[in-house]
Parts: sequence; C-alpha cells; structure tokens
Amino acid sequence: MLPYLLKRLLLMLPALWLVVTLVFLLSRALPATFGSEKILQQSKGYYASGSTSARESAYKDYLSRTGLQLPLFYFGISTASEPDTLYRVSPETDRKLLQQLAWQFSNWPAISVYYQSIKSLQQHLPEQEQFLVAPLFAATDKTAILAVTGKLDQIKGASDASALITNVQQSANRLYQHEAKYSFLVPAIQWHGADNQYHQWLSELMKGKLGTSYRDSKPVIEKVAEAVGTSFWLLILSMLAAFLISFNTSILLVQRQETKLQKFILSGLYFLDSIPLFVLCLLLLVLLASPDFLQLFPAYGLGYYENQNQNWLEGMMQQLPYLALPILCLTIAYIPYLTNILYRALADNSQTDYARTARAKGLSEQKVIRKHLVRNALLPVITLLSDFLPALVAGSVVIETIFAIPGIGRLLLESVQARDYPVIVTIVLLVAAFKMLSHLLADIWYGIADPRIRYNAR
Amino acid sequence: MKLLFADIQKLWHDKIAFRLAVCYLLLFAIVALLLPLLPLPFAPQQLDLKQVFQFPFNEGDSGYHLLGTDALGRDVLVGSMYGARTALFISFPVMVLSTLLGLFLGAAAGYFGNVKLKISRAGLLLSFVALCTVLYFGFYVPLHVLSLKLGNEALTISLLVLAGIFVILFGVLLPAFKRLKLFKKTVAFPLDWVVLRLIETFTSIPTLIFILVLASFAPPSILVLAVILILTTWTNTARIARAEMLRVKQLPYFEAAASIGATEYRLILRHALPNIISPVVVTFVFGLAGILALESTLSFLGIAASGSLISWGGIMAGIRSNTSAWWLVFFPGMFLSATVLALQICSYYLLWAMQQRKR
Repeated sequence: MLPYLLKRLLLMLPALWLVVTLVFLLSRALPATFGSEKILQQSKGYYASGSTSARESAYKDYLSRTGLQLPLFYFGISTASEPDTLYRVSPETDRKLLQQLAWQFSNWPAISVYYQSIKSLQQHLPEQEQFLVAPLFAATDKTAILAVTGKLDQIKGASDASALITNVQQSANRLYQHEAKYSFLVPAIQWHGADNQYHQWLSELMKGKLGTSYRDSKPVIEKVAEAVGTSFWLLILSMLAAFLISFNTSILLVQRQETKLQKFILSGLYFLDSIPLFVLCLLLLVLLASPDFLQLFPAYGLGYYENQNQNWLEGMMQQLPYLALPILCLTIAYIPYLTNILYRALADNSQTDYARTARAKGLSEQKVIRKHLVRNALLPVITLLSDFLPALVAGSVVIETIFAIPGIGRLLLESVQARDYPVIVTIVLLVAAFKMLSHLLADIWYGIADPRIRYNAR
Repeated sequence: MKLLFADIQKLWHDKIAFRLAVCYLLLFAIVALLLPLLPLPFAPQQLDLKQVFQFPFNEGDSGYHLLGTDALGRDVLVGSMYGARTALFISFPVMVLSTLLGLFLGAAAGYFGNVKLKISRAGLLLSFVALCTVLYFGFYVPLHVLSLKLGNEALTISLLVLAGIFVILFGVLLPAFKRLKLFKKTVAFPLDWVVLRLIETFTSIPTLIFILVLASFAPPSILVLAVILILTTWTNTARIARAEMLRVKQLPYFEAAASIGATEYRLILRHALPNIISPVVVTFVFGLAGILALESTLSFLGIAASGSLISWGGIMAGIRSNTSAWWLVFFPGMFLSATVLALQICSYYLLWAMQQRKR
C-alpha cells in the first residue's frame, strides 16, 4: 500500500503545480495592481502633503521591494514595435503614452528623442505654463500632436524656452516622417532569462517562502495559518453535527419506507435544499440574533478580546456562543445533501440478498441496518464526502462574511477585493492541496472499509 | 426529442407539483420579459430619501409600498421584479452557452475517444501555428488596439492579416506538406484524455472559490461574470454528454447506422444527439438553478457585478446596514428560493420520467 500512496503523492504534484502556476500568471498578467491603485492614485486630501514625485518614488520603491518591475515569465511575445525595455519606464502614465506612440509610429529612436524633448520642456516651464505641455502627454496621433505644437508656437516668442519648443516641434516632425505604419503586426519574441517574477516566486516557493501580503506586509503563512485556525473549529464542528444528524435521519427514513413521515421529511429536505446558503444565514440572523425577534445569539465577530494566558479550551468556551449560529447555519445547509446520499445508499442496500438473509435470521430491523447495511452503504459515500470537504471551504466564504468571523473564507474575500495576490495564490494552493489530500484519504479509507480492494500500482 | 416532449406532456397530466412548477416558471419568464411595459408605480432605481426602511404593507406619502423600502427608499417589490429580470437575463444565456460548449466537448470526447480522431502530422503542425496566430492577431493585437485607441482601421488590418495567414496555411501549405511522406502520416489525437484533464483542472477547486479568484483578475462587469460562469459550469454537461455518448455508441442501432456507411457528421447529429439530449436537458434545468443561486451569492458578496445592476443579492445585502429590516431578506430570498425550487422540481421529475421509461 505504501508504494501506491507514494505514487499517488508524486502524481499529485504536477497537477498542483499547473493550477498554482496558472493562477500566479493570471494574477500578475494585469498591469495595474494593488500598489499602483493605492500609492499613485491617492487623491489630494487636505492632510496629504506628498507630491506627485514623492508618490512616484514611493511606488518605485514598492515595485523593487516586491519584484513587480521584472518581466513576468522566462519569455514573452509582444509586437516588434514595442522595445523590450518598456517596462522599465518609471511613471506608469508615461509608459502608457510611450506604448501608444510605439504602436502608432513604430520608430523607437525617434519616439525616445521626442519623449526626451517634451520631458525637458515640461521641466523647464514654470508652474503657470504647465497646462500648455500637459496635452502633449495625452496626444498620441499626428493631428493631436500638431494641434498642441501649434499652440506652443504662439508663446514661442515670449517665452525663454523657445529653443526647447523648437526641439519638440522638430522631433515631432521626425516622428511623422519616419513613421512605419502597421509594423505592430510583426510579432517579436523576447527572452528574459531567469531574472523574472515567475522564477523568483517559484524558487521562493521551493524554499517554503510564500511571500508577504501586499496589504500589510505580514508573512502570508502567518495570516493564512491564523485564519485557518479560526475556520477549523467552525468547519469541523458543523461537519460532525451535519453528519450525525443526517446519518440518523437516513436510518429513520430507511426504517419507515413508504410512510407519510418519510414523504414529509424528504419533501422538507428538498425544500431546504432549494434555499441558498446565504439566504438561510440571513434569515436565521434576522430571526435569532436581531432585537426585533429573538436575540438568542450574538450576531457578529468572535468576542471582544483574547486573554493571552488562557488555554485552548477556555478560548473555545469563550468563542462558542459566537460560533453557535454559524455552525447551525452550515449544519442546516448541508443536511439535505448528506441525508440524500446516505439514504440512497442505504435504500439500495436494503433490497440486497444479504439484507434479506439477515432479516430471515430474525434480526431486528435496527440491527440489520446498523450492523449489516451501514458498512456496505458507507463505501460510495466516502468518495462523495471527499468532494464535500473542500466544498465546505466555499461555504465558509459566505458564512464568515455574513457573521464577520476572521477565518479563511473572509480572508479570501478581502484579498480578492484588495487584489492581494500572494494571499490569493496561497489560499488556492492550500485548497487544491486539501482537495487532493482528501481524495487520497478517501482511497486509504476505502481499503480499510473493504479489505477486498487491493492497491495494485497500475 | 419526441420522447422528451411525450415525457413532459405525461408529467403535466399526472403530477400536480410539476404543473405548478412549470406554471410558476412561465409566469416568472413572462413578467421578467414584459417588465418595462408593465405599469409600475415606481421606477426601479427611484430614490425616496424621506421614506427609508418603510415597513411592508405601508402607505407612504408618494405611494403604496407593498413590500417596504430599502436604505435609500427604493421599493422592494419593484426591485425584486427587476432582480428577476436580471437573474433571467444572466442565467439563461450563460447556461445555454455553457451547455452548448459542454455538449460539444463531451460528445466529441465520448465519440472520438483517444484513438478515433486522426490528424495528419502536417495538419497537427499547422493547427498549432494557426492557434498561435489566432492568439496574436485575434486577441493580442485587437485588445491592444482597443485599449490604446488606435482606431478601427488598425483593427480591420489585423483581422485581415489573420484571414490571409489562414488562407495560406490551410489553402496552400497544407496540400503542399501533405505531398511529403513524413507529414502525410496520421497520428491519433487523444481528445478524450485532453477533455478529461480539462474537466479535472476546472473542478479541482470549488466553484465559488474559483470564481472569486478569477473575478479578482478582471474589473467587475457583466460580461466578465458571464464568461467566468460559463467557464466553471460547462464541466457538468460535458461529463453527462460524454457518458451518454459512450453508452449510445455501443447500442445496436448505432452500429447498424455506422455499418451502412453513414458519415461521422450524420452519425453524431442524426443518430447520437437526439438520444443524449434528454439527460442534457435535465442538467440544463438543474444548472439554471445553480447559476441563479451562485449569481445572487456573488452579487450579495459584492463580487463581479457592478453597483448599478439591480439583483436579488444586491437588495439582500442591504440587511447589513439595518439588521431589523427583515423584509429586505425575506421577499427577495423567497423569490429566489421559489425559483430555484421550481427548477429543481422540474429537473427531478424529468429525471424520474426518464428512469421510468428505461425500466
């Protein structure tokens, strides 16, 4: 059995690698990330004293700290009219302008001369004349540039920057003359070598480092471990409760087949199944935790403070009233599904020959079900349960958001809203690994439940 | 196909629950489609800041709010009706497209298996080149042209170049390559393996988490939401279609049709598809219910849908600012649950009728 398990574990790794690589590449493929939104686009508030240039340098620092200024992958394909060093241009707005010019005129030397000329003009002009140059940074085609340079002509005589203005006009002229139209249709392959984001990330991952969060620079592992610790009790307790209740319900259903009670319970479960989880949570929240109806449970959070020197049991006792309602919701939400599976499996088995034999021996119906049927019926249920475990994590997203519990689901949602990719990638890795491990666990369990199954390394 | 209609007719006569569910769904569809024509007392986004959080069945100054109002004084009944319209307009096209995709991939995987689909080496090579050119001229260049605002001319030129390359690849190069012995040899394309691995990858992460992660990569819009939902829901249909195709493939009538020399096209469309359509319809109805629930969960969480869109989930999210406003949850939640229940009842009875027929 051990070689079989080892083989399964090894086969798991490529699939895991593929999923995480895809998520990583997709997450980094977008240009405007969390940092540029937070640092550059800060609106000028009354207390904000930072100037644009200070913000830009802060953004540069941030990029080099997180390694985001590097190219994404080992190689990249882009148009030949874009130079492969474009990503190094520092303000992101200028990079956009250069990219537009590159696609429009496709002559990189002329574009860079033009860019330098408007840059130096901008630096030379005093504050009150800046509005004359500003349109140049938004003008990307010939007519727009001509319109702006025409206006510049009017102040040429009066200003002391006349040489610089002539320079701009000349370089702009060269731009149209040496234009190579539609050369963006030619693709070019760039080789970046090992100095890229993916390589760095993967090698860090191999060393066990998952990076730091974009939002608060805490290590991702710490954040995720904290969240998992909170979600763990919630998920385990509701899972156990749901399983126990649906196990006994399904036995009851098998005993009372073709009765009114059975039909009533089945249709009730069917109705319960059609209520989406978040609606169920909200209804229970309104009914059981709001002052207008019954205020049995506290509605939000996990208590006010945590005493440092209490052990885990005391901590749990403190948290239990806060966890009670979420656990109730998750339990109720998963009972229909579990009961249905268990009931189907038991009902199929109750028609078999061995069940009839057991009944013919004079065993009570209770004994037939509990001793004979359950062991056989559980076998297919194991597989379904292994699918069910990761689905619980998805349920925790909804539950933890509604009840404001700082668990894994809430962490995921918050990271998604803030585009905190290191955390997102780690959670995806965790969930995928969890799912594969639970499949593996199901296999082992199969062997224990049915000794006839042999693990031939196929 | 005829059997499916016969089933539905029989169910309509025999089962009251089925008839009720179908009537409810028809009413739902008619109201959602004709909503702009109905004489409603309020506009869907009409604010009334003097009457926030009005209780249901309450006479206000500006009119009778049957189901109360929300935090900005918007009428819950009108909001719920427009929410139904949004739900229909998102879930139905998404499910149609995802079913078509799943049916196509699943049926093809089931029919061709790992060995039946033969491609010459030249075809394989040129298909790879064609895929690369589609990615470059069909996606990379047009997307950049649109985001950099280079105008329609550049867009047309890029697509024309793509068409030209296709003509050269498959009109000129393919026949030329096929003359060489090395490239003429055919190889089997393991379609079944590829589709199964695709399904495995897409189901390796729970749907809700997968959608959350994908939604973080793109700015929220309805189109993105639709694409994400299609990407995550096609696997169910594909799995069913593949299994049904494998079952139909070995039935005697199908072998007979193949033995009299029916073409592959005809075999799949005329002989196999009508026989695998019933389970696919059941999955379609069941999937609709799933998408409805998923879409409102997402809009409740504030993911992937913009704020101006009225949806059931969005109305229900209003409970967060005032936990005693139970009507904000109760009425939209009731509409949502009733619709999901009606769809599930339909799919349950269709499945039941199919199993009855097989016996």
